[in-house]
Amino acid sequence: MSFLGSLEVFIETGLIFSIIAMGYYVSYHILDFPDLTVEGTFLTGAVVFGLLSSHNVNSWIALLVSFVLGCAFGAVTGVLNVRLKIRPLLCGILVSTSLITINLIATSAGMTGDFTGQSSSSISYGRTVKTLHDVFFGELIPSRVKGVSVRDLIIFLVVAIVCKLLLDFYFKTKNGLLLRAAGNNGQFVKMLGVDPGKSKITGLAIGNGYAAIAGALYSHVSGNVNQSMGIGMIVIGLASLIIGLSLLKNVKFMKPTTKVIIGAIIYQACLTVAQKLGVPSAYNKLIMAVIFTIALVVSSKAKNKGGSSNVAVK
Amino acid sequence: MLQLNNICTSFNKGTIDEMELFKQFNFEVKKGEFISIVGSNGSGKTTLLNLICGTMSPDSGSIIFKGDDITKMSEHRRAKFIGRVFQDPKLGTCSNLTVLENFALADNKNKTFGLTGAVSKKRIDYYREKLSHCNMGLEDRLNTPVGSLSGGQRQAIALVISGMTEVDMLILDEHTAALDPKSSETIMEITDKLVKENDMTAVMVTHNLRFATQYGNRLVMMHNGEAIMDKKAEEKEQTKVEDILHLFNEISIECGN
Repeated sequence: MSFLGSLEVFIETGLIFSIIAMGYYVSYHILDFPDLTVEGTFLTGAVVFGLLSSHNVNSWIALLVSFVLGCAFGAVTGVLNVRLKIRPLLCGILVSTSLITINLIATSAGMTGDFTGQSSSSISYGRTVKTLHDVFFGELIPSRVKGVSVRDLIIFLVVAIVCKLLLDFYFKTKNGLLLRAAGNNGQFVKMLGVDPGKSKITGLAIGNGYAAIAGALYSHVSGNVNQSMGIGMIVIGLASLIIGLSLLKNVKFMKPTTKVIIGAIIYQACLTVAQKLGVPSAYNKLIMAVIFTIALVVSSKAKNKGGSSNVAVK
Repeated sequence: MLQLNNICTSFNKGTIDEMELFKQFNFEVKKGEFISIVGSNGSGKTTLLNLICGTMSPDSGSIIFKGDDITKMSEHRRAKFIGRVFQDPKLGTCSNLTVLENFALADNKNKTFGLTGAVSKKRIDYYREKLSHCNMGLEDRLNTPVGSLSGGQRQAIALVISGMTEVDMLILDEHTAALDPKSSETIMEITDKLVKENDMTAVMVTHNLRFATQYGNRLVMMHNGEAIMDKKAEEKEQTKVEDILHLFNEISIECGN
């Protein structure tokens, strides 16, 4: 693959995964909730997007529906934790395990009407399926410039930036400020006469809604949906978040959401470099975890040298 | 204004360490009272405050506030009419938000937290004015994250914030205990001013006997879940630090210390 080609690939995947990382910014960084639901909701996003697109629903609407369903499952995790007092890790495990079934049945039922989940476990977009390329502003973008398919790149950039701006806007509102307060000091929120649990549920809904959007975009790139797509998304999301926030910690003018997007692209660049060095793709997930570990260690070293707050190692 | 009727509470229920603190405990707070509560550790001061604020609920008995039974009401609902300042300055403010953002949140207390802008520029002068009463120069540090302020400054903000919306009752939970002598003096002065200016009803737990005698209009000493001393108005005015200390010593001898 040419240099431009690989540049395109890692920026593209970086933009997609930056959306998960922005979700983790809310649930993990602000609310300190290690949310394992993401692997399930990432796939849910892909399944919903795939099913709706292949049934000729406008794919931008499909993307929106993916987001809403992701939010809904995230809220379930939140309710399990806040109302039923189940530990954060267990809530994520419970919901993501349930989602394995839900995603499979949804795929099977959506493709063939079979509710036993035995007939079909994947969705592939044939040539006739219209996806984000073909509707709304997608058509206006030239598909290739100098052999690089800029259309996808621009579409993902637009989606990532919209997600970022929405989050930036949200944190300036009363509800958003309350969520930041809830992550920092639940007692303070209680003294305001509000149940901090509500903010937690909202935060998890946002985190998983964003993961679902990322899943939808990912299936758009790979042209199909399969049931193992969600695996590894927790590491990718968290690594992107932590790399972005710790590498750019001293950059004052940049919003955290921007740092997270850059972090996601850097992380994908590192993976691409590893592949370029000739590491077989079967080693991908291992390399992902190793790079993440290095990022964690480096970020905690930086803290010991007199940095202020740390992002990952407690 | 507030009545605690026949309250029973015990800790470690069902274990060999079971300890019954309040046995048929009754306590009443009248409107306009500023009560100082003193007492040794484990005497039930903080438990009393926790019962009033809803942090814990009694095994039996009822808590009546302005005629309504609030025994089963959750902590955050009670916070709508009961303000609280804690011993730990970290609890009363949000460290990662700026002073301004803390005020903006407090300013919106008892209203909906919707999707409209949080910080209103029009209110900044009002916040500044509130902060200027503290004489700590905080009015010029609105954009500083609260986490980088000192404990005394944070406690001052927590106090101002808790008095900003109209709460019927202010609970002060050893709110000067974590501060140096100078800061605790300042915080007590701010507290007194706040309570007097807003005509508040307040319940303060303190280990500082001088504060207990100097401030407020009612003095209560707790021991083993009972109010063993309760002096009001003029009787309280005449009570000196030595009197309380004397009673304290008697209790200690009784307990074998």
